[in-house]
Amino acid sequence: MSEELKKRLRSDNRDWTPPNFGITDKLGLTKFKPDAESHLSVINRDVCRKSCRRKYCTHTCPAQVYRWEEEDASISIAFEGCLECGTCRSGGCPYDNIEMRYPRGGFGVQYRFG
Amino acid sequence: MSTPADISTAATTTGRFDAIIVGGGPAGLSAACTLADGGARVVVIERGDWPGSKNMMGGLIFSQPTSQVAPEFWKKAPLERHITRREMWLATGESVLKAGYESTDFGAEPYNSFSVFRSRFDKWLAGEARAKGAIIITETLVEDLLMEGDRVVGVRTGRPEGDLEADVVILCEGVNPFLAEKAGLSKGVKPESVALAVKEVLALPKEKLEDRFSLDEGNGAAYEVVGEITAGIPGTGFIYTNRDTVSIGVGVILKDMVDQAGEAYALLERFKKQPQVQRLIQGASPREYAAHLIPEGGYHGMPKLHGNGVLVAGDAAGMVNAVFTEGANLALLSGKMAAETVLRARDCGSFDAITLSHYRDQLEQSIIMKDLKSFQNVTPFLSSHPHFFTMYPELASAAVKELLTVDSLSKADKLHLIIKLVRSQRPARKLMKDLYDSWRTFS
Repeated sequence: MSEELKKRLRSDNRDWTPPNFGITDKLGLTKFKPDAESHLSVINRDVCRKSCRRKYCTHTCPAQVYRWEEEDASISIAFEGCLECGTCRSGGCPYDNIEMRYPRGGFGVQYRFG
Repeated sequence: MSTPADISTAATTTGRFDAIIVGGGPAGLSAACTLADGGARVVVIERGDWPGSKNMMGGLIFSQPTSQVAPEFWKKAPLERHITRREMWLATGESVLKAGYESTDFGAEPYNSFSVFRSRFDKWLAGEARAKGAIIITETLVEDLLMEGDRVVGVRTGRPEGDLEADVVILCEGVNPFLAEKAGLSKGVKPESVALAVKEVLALPKEKLEDRFSLDEGNGAAYEVVGEITAGIPGTGFIYTNRDTVSIGVGVILKDMVDQAGEAYALLERFKKQPQVQRLIQGASPREYAAHLIPEGGYHGMPKLHGNGVLVAGDAAGMVNAVFTEGANLALLSGKMAAETVLRARDCGSFDAITLSHYRDQLEQSIIMKDLKSFQNVTPFLSSHPHFFTMYPELASAAVKELLTVDSLSKADKLHLIIKLVRSQRPARKLMKDLYDSWRTFS
């Protein structure tokens, strides 16, 4: 009986359409004043290469600043779009392998709403 | 906003500062207002182009604590809407079960809460602080603390000749406590005691918004949504109405998101596509995307709040009540108390840790610590009970749906069916334990 009810529930639509308003579109809305130099860096690139199988930062950063570049076997950093939230220094990289500072005064994200 | 030209000029023209405040958010600006009111020479150092430009929250502020810093602020501050309705939704992929409260009392002075944009509100509050005599220096990052032994004696900024000394430094630097870590007060942010929130601001014409959310002019609504929307990661969705925009976002416990290699922006899209949510924001056009961490470690997650010549307030001190989504008001109150402690210390002529411990005592007696203690186990509890975000909303929804659906089953059969379903998902013993544990955690 309960199976029947469960089936009835399952039959409902669970498959939402995949995200179509992507991160690039989102970041395009937000105002940035990028500095010339990065305020983010990977501490030891061997850790990304050898230890980190899931490349966590490429998922956990809400601005998708970090991307795994297969050709160079390393993480690239699009620091210009960093929202300065601190995820990468607070466990977003489970290996604590990212050094984050704040951008210099007057640079970086500039929220109009916030 | 102000003159960042030369830090040392500010000091030369003002003389030595009594207090340096790092960060122009609710905590820092509240402290600045209180100190300036008390006749202290105070400077706020803010890294953004204006106070507020780096700040983000859901965002509600509450009248009572805010008016302690800025009396009758609703008559002049840039506010969006006063909130007259709060709703809690348990959501599944296709349904919501709602609870809510609405009152006309919340629509009259002094109101209860407002939706605001930090970037605009904090800019305004900084103006209030300046009018009281505080100096606000923007576009300036504090890179380090100046120490003499274990005493904080000032700050080093990123500007040439950018050292600045004062009797006391109040760290209101926000959730990433770079300086509090350097001072040995904070051990940093732990992923299990912090939430990552992402938010979009969506534009919707005023009349359409009021129609759609069924609001009288100027009134606003706030929604907290729990359920499948966070894909099994403990967290909530939120929707706040503003003047002619809607703030919509998702916050999840960072540890759980990292473990599942979840993607916050994808969760936000998932939330926006939940049918009942989608209906509210249909046709609204995105204006800004933002992300921020929320310290949800509660009482246990707090750093050391004072040292020789230094105090910590606001998010940097972990002052957020995650259950009632209150952070900004705790920041305002803690900033005020830190400032009052500094004024008292000035009278004593001592800024050592023992004198400044008055701050901790004041906090302990205040609503801040009482609330933080009450809910100190909530975040670990939710982390260890992910089924609260998946199974229970689904069961609740299934139960109500079954009861409301008219078919060949009698109501007694339906009840029987529901009980069987619940038991099949969660044995009675475990169900009772969940009930007992949540009673213990939330009361």
